[in-house]
Amino acid sequence: MPLDVRGTAAHPHGSAPAPRLPDVEVTALPDDAPPTRAGTASPHSRTTRLPGRFDVSTPSPERNATTVAIIGGGATGVGILRDLSMRGIPAVLLERQALAAGTSSRFHGLLHCGGRYAVGDPEAARECIQENRILRHIAPNCIESPEGFFVLTPEDDPAYEKTWLEGCAKAGIATSPVDPDEARRLEPGLSPDIKVVHRVPDASVDGFRLVWHNWLSAREHGGQLRLRHQVTGILQDGGKVAGLRVLDRNKGEEYVLNCDMVVSAAGPWAGEVAAMAGIHVDITPDRGTLVVFNHRFASRIVNRLHRSGDGDIFVPVGTVTILGTTSFTADGPEDTLPTSEEVLRLLDLGAPVFPDLRSHRILRAFAGVRPLYTPPNTAHGRGGSRNFVIVDHADQGLAGMVSIFGGKLTTYRLMAEKIGDLVAKRLGVNAPCATARTPLSPPPSRSDMEKASKIFPVSALRQAAERQGAAFPKLVKGLAEGRGAEFLCECEMVSRAEVELTAMESPAFNLNDIRVRTRIGMGTCQGAFCPLRSMGALHAAGIREDLDPRRELSRFLGERWKGLRPALWGVQVQEIELSREIYGATFNLGNSREDGETS
Amino acid sequence: MSDAASRPDAKTPTGGTGEGGAFLDMFRDVPVPDRCVACTNCSLACPVTRVAPDYMGPRMMGPVYERFRRGEVPPTSRKALKLALHEDPFLHYCSNCKNCDIACPCGVPISSLIMEARASFPRSRLTALRDWILAHGETIGLRTALFPAALRNFAMNLSPTRHVLAALGVAFKAPLPAFASATFNGFLGSLPQPEGLVRKVAVFPGCYVNLYDHDCGKDLVYLLNRAGYRVVPSGFVCCGLPMIANGFAGDARANAETNMAELARLENDGVPVLAPCPSCVMTLNEDRPAACKDAGPPPVIDACAFVAGCIARGELALPSANPMRVMYHAPCHLRAQGIGLPGLDLLSDVPGLDVLEAGAGCCGISGSYGFKKEKYALAMSIGEELFGRVKESGAGLVVTECGTCRVQIAHGTGKAVRHPLSLLRSLFADVVR
Repeated sequence: MPLDVRGTAAHPHGSAPAPRLPDVEVTALPDDAPPTRAGTASPHSRTTRLPGRFDVSTPSPERNATTVAIIGGGATGVGILRDLSMRGIPAVLLERQALAAGTSSRFHGLLHCGGRYAVGDPEAARECIQENRILRHIAPNCIESPEGFFVLTPEDDPAYEKTWLEGCAKAGIATSPVDPDEARRLEPGLSPDIKVVHRVPDASVDGFRLVWHNWLSAREHGGQLRLRHQVTGILQDGGKVAGLRVLDRNKGEEYVLNCDMVVSAAGPWAGEVAAMAGIHVDITPDRGTLVVFNHRFASRIVNRLHRSGDGDIFVPVGTVTILGTTSFTADGPEDTLPTSEEVLRLLDLGAPVFPDLRSHRILRAFAGVRPLYTPPNTAHGRGGSRNFVIVDHADQGLAGMVSIFGGKLTTYRLMAEKIGDLVAKRLGVNAPCATARTPLSPPPSRSDMEKASKIFPVSALRQAAERQGAAFPKLVKGLAEGRGAEFLCECEMVSRAEVELTAMESPAFNLNDIRVRTRIGMGTCQGAFCPLRSMGALHAAGIREDLDPRRELSRFLGERWKGLRPALWGVQVQEIELSREIYGATFNLGNSREDGETS
Repeated sequence: MSDAASRPDAKTPTGGTGEGGAFLDMFRDVPVPDRCVACTNCSLACPVTRVAPDYMGPRMMGPVYERFRRGEVPPTSRKALKLALHEDPFLHYCSNCKNCDIACPCGVPISSLIMEARASFPRSRLTALRDWILAHGETIGLRTALFPAALRNFAMNLSPTRHVLAALGVAFKAPLPAFASATFNGFLGSLPQPEGLVRKVAVFPGCYVNLYDHDCGKDLVYLLNRAGYRVVPSGFVCCGLPMIANGFAGDARANAETNMAELARLENDGVPVLAPCPSCVMTLNEDRPAACKDAGPPPVIDACAFVAGCIARGELALPSANPMRVMYHAPCHLRAQGIGLPGLDLLSDVPGLDVLEAGAGCCGISGSYGFKKEKYALAMSIGEELFGRVKESGAGLVVTECGTCRVQIAHGTGKAVRHPLSLLRSLFADVVR
């Protein structure tokens, strides 16, 4: 029976009732607040330990004016922010929710080599292989798995192999045949019925991490990010963009941001943004559901060698394997609740590749919405182009406004580069794109790695170094100075120091943002232990005392349970019963549905 | 033997079986990394975690680490290799005592996962040499067997030798056991056994009895002869557990193959095999399903359980003792088998003996663990509770099946420590003489 989170449980910190928060989405420190305690009079203060073990202060931005306003904090938007910032063009990114809250985190994690588009979409295939090479160079800490397989199952048309190989050759994708026995030695779970295997330069990419590191790099170059800032209107002056009306959802107040240009990179929401300027755009939100398995039962990306369809790709990424995807026209950009039917269908579709698929434990399922650009008389769904389209709305009578539609995560940088070229041209700035040559973050230094290896096990160390990137030296310094090496999240090996450091970074508004950055709660136990420990650690350290523990926990668990419900069977049921006992019995936190929708 | 019946995964052995076998069947088809529900029972049960706050515990080093190891493609770029670190100190904290496996409600072979991870990481050369020495006690014992035992023991305990060993990382204060003359296997052929015994058994002596403690072996032979069994010679080698625990998985596999062949041969001849050391019994019975696809040779039998069977069948009469208080320590590797505590049951039935079970967990030594320089203090603090229990009990004698437990308890308490069967045999001696 679902427990009511708004019940009358005792306040976790004593007899004082939990403060009732106003009904704004989030109460967080403003973006430019220094990383100090919210107030010394807080009833939660229990230690006198001084905050500021990590220096994460950012310069305070000019609020009401910039040159370019970017709408949408996904990979494309943040990529554009980085691109423009590196060209020296002042830019502000407005995101109404959180970084990578939309499609950029709701995909399979494949860094395409282009093989999946080699036959049907050769232009996309060429872009993919080109960007694949660039991203391996500039974002090595976000990318792993050095190769992929395309496998022909008995259900696939053998004639497709030849067409596909020709397509790959034309697009410049290197393929090499693999002896099927050798393939099964490398991937023991592969079906014995697979007789044709080709190797391709696929890779996997952590979407959250890629977006976050783009932001850290953009910040280095002066880019500004405003989270929970929602665009409510596009201001025009004589057929030209003059600025944006923005609702600061942190403070609940509206302001005007004057700018010379507006770039819409709102993904599935791009139609809504354009509509604010009175422009109609054909965006078909296309929904894809994916299943996350508890461990890596494959070492490589495995695609089926056929015309790209549903349930035909396995991507090992981090500690998990993701199986995707489906393709249905969605009810709207927010239609991301997966169903058990979709999960079961994916399991059926995946079985010809990995026959033991059903024995593997499913952690959760999730769905994303592809922002397919579908002007009249074009194909939808699987047939719809994965290419991106840039529209300069000057042609529709609004100068200074540019939208980017479609595309995919693999080509986010190229999309940003094309936008950057256009914006620079319109502004008369003569600065070439620099994003393809400059790594997002420096590699970890040997001395930092060695220092931290005395504190962490090797796997945890690699993970922390890759997650933190440019912030890693700060983490090592914090670890070396004292406490904080204990793991708050054991499944993903996230230390207390890393949670504290992340909590003080400006885009981390709540526990869910800390999750996105560090992966707490994304492993085996799906938040049975880590959110509770993290809240306790933050309060004990006097960091982010503005966060209300019960609200944060219920929001965090609600978001987890949203993905757990559609695939809740087997060992995972035992796991979740343990979690429900912990939170239900001790905090009267339940799983009522309205309780934890992400904001 | 419930061990084989309730084993959750034949390919990755675990000791955490016994009661709850039917429940564990639920996990039979679940891949190992998917079984853990993160309950952390294992970390609560871990004796090392209790005394070493730096150690992250079996959940972290076992199932969690496993998810990071699975499916990892080795780094190919030179830059990645440069940052790959050579030694993970945390993997060496585990003593392989298997209390985590006992505590796990989901059949996760936790200690085996840690041992696999340990074997997969490279070590610094000095540590590797020390670990090799500790892992290959049998080889060293056999290679130096040309020298008389007295000379070897004199040499081993000379201050310079201990200094050399200390430099290699063997704790200076750790109580190294003394070599016996020759090996038990070699010596068994010349041991006079009564004529006319028809039923045959074979004894897997284990390194401790084979190299250091012949008396324990002789006591077992005496009891078996008295029950009407002739002990036949066998060609077993070390069970391989010290090699597993020190990261020499390949050597352990080679030994397992030799032992499995020998087990099969004896089975063919209809000869049961028993072993006085619980760690050997556990390891051999875990190797068996991995080595033999279907019906393998029968499991190796705990020597105390076999002798208890002799008594139950009326082949051996139970002696009585002068009133005496004895403390019994259950070795972790015996508890991990889920076969009860046959040694304790056996002695408890002896009239006159007041046998107390220590119930104080691990003694700390865990095979070669407590001999290591960096682990000596840890091992001693793990054993602290047991040592206290022994001292408080007022017992004059401690009994336990495991050889290195005996060394550790004697070192920690100063009391005499014997194998339960040695005590039993001495009672017969009282009656006979």
